[in-house]
Amino acid sequence: MNKIMISGLIVLLLSPGLYLQELTGEDIVQKVNDLFNVESGYAKAKMTIVTTSGQKRTFIYESWSKNKGEKNLVRYLEPRRVKGQATLMLNNADDIWMYFPRTQRVRKLASHAKKQKMQGSDFSYEDMGSGDAFINDFSPKRLKDEKMEGYDCYKLELTRKPDSDVTYSRLIMWVIKENFVPVVIDYYDEDDPTLQEKRLVESDIRVIDNIPTAMKVVMYNKNDNTQTELELLEVKYNITLADSMFTERGLKK
Amino acid sequence: MKKWLSALVFFSLSLSANAAQDSVELFGYFESQAMGADIKNEFLLLYSNKLRVDLKSSLSEKVTFAANFDYITFHGKTEWNILDFLPSDVTAEVPAGMESFYVLPFSDRHFLDNAYIKLSFKYFDLTVGKQQISLGTGYVWNPTDVFNIKELFDPTYEQPGHNALRLDVPLGSMYTLTTLFSPEDTWKNSAKLIQLRGRISHFDYSLTGIEKVWRFHDYTRFDFVNMNFLELPGKRQLLGASTAGELLGLGVWAEYAYNWMENSEDFYELVVGTDYTFNFQTYMMIEYYRNTLGKTDYEQYNLNDWMRMIALEQKAISRDQIYVFIQHPATDLLSVGISTIYSISDNSFALVPTLNYSFSDNVEIFAYLNFNLGKEGKVFAKNMGNGGMIRARVYF
Repeated sequence: MNKIMISGLIVLLLSPGLYLQELTGEDIVQKVNDLFNVESGYAKAKMTIVTTSGQKRTFIYESWSKNKGEKNLVRYLEPRRVKGQATLMLNNADDIWMYFPRTQRVRKLASHAKKQKMQGSDFSYEDMGSGDAFINDFSPKRLKDEKMEGYDCYKLELTRKPDSDVTYSRLIMWVIKENFVPVVIDYYDEDDPTLQEKRLVESDIRVIDNIPTAMKVVMYNKNDNTQTELELLEVKYNITLADSMFTERGLKK
Repeated sequence: MKKWLSALVFFSLSLSANAAQDSVELFGYFESQAMGADIKNEFLLLYSNKLRVDLKSSLSEKVTFAANFDYITFHGKTEWNILDFLPSDVTAEVPAGMESFYVLPFSDRHFLDNAYIKLSFKYFDLTVGKQQISLGTGYVWNPTDVFNIKELFDPTYEQPGHNALRLDVPLGSMYTLTTLFSPEDTWKNSAKLIQLRGRISHFDYSLTGIEKVWRFHDYTRFDFVNMNFLELPGKRQLLGASTAGELLGLGVWAEYAYNWMENSEDFYELVVGTDYTFNFQTYMMIEYYRNTLGKTDYEQYNLNDWMRMIALEQKAISRDQIYVFIQHPATDLLSVGISTIYSISDNSFALVPTLNYSFSDNVEIFAYLNFNLGKEGKVFAKNMGNGGMIRARVYF
């Protein structure tokens, strides 16, 4: 998950002459992937789940990321029920550990845990685009450009690769031409590529430290009629983080 | 005396709070719980209320103080006659006139569960005081954990604190060396532990050596001086290993410990487990446990076996067991599950449907039912009492 991307931290790495050439689907996905993987970052975010019955559950967490998302640490601050719970992901989320402060136990999780919902939200850890998921798990195809959420966008279809066990059969992604922020992503059913399961919408895009940042991300679950909103409360980019933070010792702090 | 002690603790906590007002956190939970069991055609009920107050103070980057104070009250059926649960051939072993000693009392209590200072230096962490000790990779059973025994039906419940001095030395980013000393009345009787943990590829590994006195009892003899069953302490030396990682997309873990006993037969314990989350969000776990201290046939179970298991002195009386757990998020706030614990050695099993409900941000409800489906004399015999538990917990 919890690449800083989770919070919609999108980095704009403009290269000269980028717009002078026609980009392929692979080029655009690579750009999106690069944007997600900032060198290092910190975010404090609020996650609000709106359930089927209209009830709300709110979580606040901090996350730290290093080496372009290769190392990630997430620690929950609120509510009290989960305060102190932390997740450490190394090697682009191939290695995951969870820390439970009530039992002071660290548990190593297999990568299938990424399929689980984050604290019962509409985000699975997988949705958060751990590592190079868009590149490694999907084959991109560029479709006809479209306007989406008021932005001129590239439209892409990402189809699951045969050897991937990712939960979605395909994704449709609208990427803002100006800054490569994927403003909308549609997620399709594992078995039925025509059945849309979820839609992710990024908004309130601000430039922070010269980096375009979506301050709000909402995941709409079409099946359950629920939604989860992620709101960035604080963001820092390219900060110095010690490697010791991303160890079992750092996880238990 | 108790009032003075409470006042002293409160005063100490107040002082600590004043010393570091900005960094002191007070939190905890209140939980109310009801348990029921059908024993001899009567449904018995035990209620409890627990207040746990946690205090954590980071006095500086290098110094952390943490403590928990528990206050628990019990109501309803607060004295359970253990002999009601046991098969008639076992209760026949009870010495004449001693029947009244086999009562499990639930008395109100309050105690300092954990209270420790953690000093963090560049090259090591030193933790001194009462602290939780969590060892091993097993979910229900932990062969390398000689300090705690988990409840079979509620294995994730927090474990009690143990008085100890613990040193953790990181060796690079991949390895940690831990030594632990848990003092008793003499050096010889004190527990000592050394553990090396590390990571190779996508697997975590640990090697553990422990020496500890095992204070189990002879439940056929009574010590009238100490007014308890006769204690039979014996030194236990353990060498164990554990691992956790991923194989073919499955989560896998294993834990093994060989025990050299001073006064009884040596034995070993083994846990092997696997888990998986399906794309439709259902989570499944299987864990196998072998304990050669356990018996291979239920007709071998004796009074001491049963009592030691009920008193949580030993982890199992049957040699081989399997735990299977399946959980599915029924809604965004409700998870339902079912676990089965099957005793391979005596061919009995328990079914335990579970429910977790998030009532609000800081209120959760957990409930289970337990159905024992073995014949009398087996580990999961019907006469062990079918029943259940419901618990509401409010965090603050």
